[in-house]
Amino acid sequence: MLRFLLFSIRRAWQGFWRNAVMSLAATVTMTLMLLMLAGLVIGLSGMDAGLRFVEQKVEVQAFIADGTPQSRIDALIAQVRALPEVAEVDYVDKQQALAEWQQQLRAQGKPDYSSETGTNPIPASIRVKLRDPHVYGNVVQTLQSAQGVVTDVLETQHVVDALLSVTGFLRTAGVVVLVLVGVTVLFIVVNTIRLAVVARAEEIEIMRLVGASDAFIRWPFIFEGLLVGLLGAALTLGILALAAQPIGQGVATLVGQVPIQFDQNLAQELVLVVGGAGLALGGLGAFISVRTYLIR
Amino acid sequence: MTTSTPHLPGAPIVASGAGLAADATTTRPAERDMAAPRGISIALQDVSKVYPNGRRALSDVDLVVPDGDFVFIVGPSGAGKSTLIKLLIRDELPTSGTVLVAGRDVSRLPRREVPRLRRQVGIVFQDYKLLPYKSVRDNVAFALEVTGTPGRRIGPAVERVLALVGLTAEADQLPSQLSGGEQQRTAIARALVHEPRVVIADEPTGNLDPLISWEIIQLLLRINELGTTVLMATHNAEVVTALRRRVVALEDGRVVRDGIGGYHREY
Repeated sequence: MLRFLLFSIRRAWQGFWRNAVMSLAATVTMTLMLLMLAGLVIGLSGMDAGLRFVEQKVEVQAFIADGTPQSRIDALIAQVRALPEVAEVDYVDKQQALAEWQQQLRAQGKPDYSSETGTNPIPASIRVKLRDPHVYGNVVQTLQSAQGVVTDVLETQHVVDALLSVTGFLRTAGVVVLVLVGVTVLFIVVNTIRLAVVARAEEIEIMRLVGASDAFIRWPFIFEGLLVGLLGAALTLGILALAAQPIGQGVATLVGQVPIQFDQNLAQELVLVVGGAGLALGGLGAFISVRTYLIR
Repeated sequence: MTTSTPHLPGAPIVASGAGLAADATTTRPAERDMAAPRGISIALQDVSKVYPNGRRALSDVDLVVPDGDFVFIVGPSGAGKSTLIKLLIRDELPTSGTVLVAGRDVSRLPRREVPRLRRQVGIVFQDYKLLPYKSVRDNVAFALEVTGTPGRRIGPAVERVLALVGLTAEADQLPSQLSGGEQQRTAIARALVHEPRVVIADEPTGNLDPLISWEIIQLLLRINELGTTVLMATHNAEVVTALRRRVVALEDGRVVRDGIGGYHREY
């Protein structure tokens, strides 16, 4: 068994270098395909982070009538907090609300005249974060039923629903594109490896004629395919590592405040996806290519 | 080497072809003192082969080759010689009939047993089929390596067959540095390295000039004398006629003549 493995690996190595041009062509193809795959994974994970950020923003906001006693507000907060759908309840008083509003105006570059009125027109509010943006339960009704305390509840439910259906669609579309690209990559890589195998058809024929078993014919080629996959993956990861910095900056300026991180997690995920895809594609490609020569 | 092989499952076929086989070999001095009952290397019974495209390559072929025989297969191109050889190494399966090689029923052989059969049948081609980037020694060793032979057994076996074909001095050269005859001897060494029961040579002298052709024939005869059955398909009328060995003539997929004789039909 060990002898067989050593034999196969040695022959794979020899085969790879004997047909260096073919092998390099296969490796370059593999690298390009893996880069495409990695780009898609990065894009999808960025999109996912963005979507999650947007979903986290979902909250129910109830405006409090001016002059409501603090005790009634506290009672309402306690009542809402007790609801099972609620993750977090924040109370924003008039001062804070005004400060936020002024900040928004500054950010948008609009003139701020609020200081000239001498009064604060912005109402205080209760902000409710939901555990699951899809599940509202009784939150809105509870808030609306507090007569005299709540002037208005921001009706965002249908907006949020629309947003969620869009994000769901985008996720599904992302997975579909990923699968389509994966299949395309498989076909291209299989075809390239097949060329490398066809170039060695004579050798395979001789092996069959002298009585080599299928395993002895097949495995050197599979190891060669794995080698192509491994080299392609290593090249791809190298290119990604070099490109990570500029890409990260580019994305940061493009998306602005949405916190997409090229963190440790994504890096690990990429190593796994690219390495796994490279090995799987190389091995599978070789397996499929040699099969045509073995079936009789 | 293999002449002492005991009886095999193809016994009924032996009877049908025994007369012929005896005729073909009684004149061979090397065989005469081997009184022990001989096995059958190759036996075909009612074998027909029709290719998927409808072409009929062989029709009702009966052929028995006892161990240690030397047989020429002759006939015009397209007569079925190549198909016959393909059946013997199970590169093709017969459409009907039975093909026994080295005691195995080729058409009933499970796929995983095919490599074992092929190690019993050494094969030599007109175009040598050597790997151009391997030396003579490595080309021969290749046949053992790819069949999982332990490394310590490969070296001695290779040296032995190289000595037999007379290529010890050329062992480290590449095929491109050799003459055609030397390349063919390398191929013969490779065919022998598994110590096969049968050696099949498909036009082994087709690319060689007459003098070198004789060298190759002498080598095959020597291998035969050492006990290996040799089956040689050829167009080389001069060689066949001069040697007066058993000749099986094929025409349009049928055996039209089987017996001692020359290349052409004698009246």
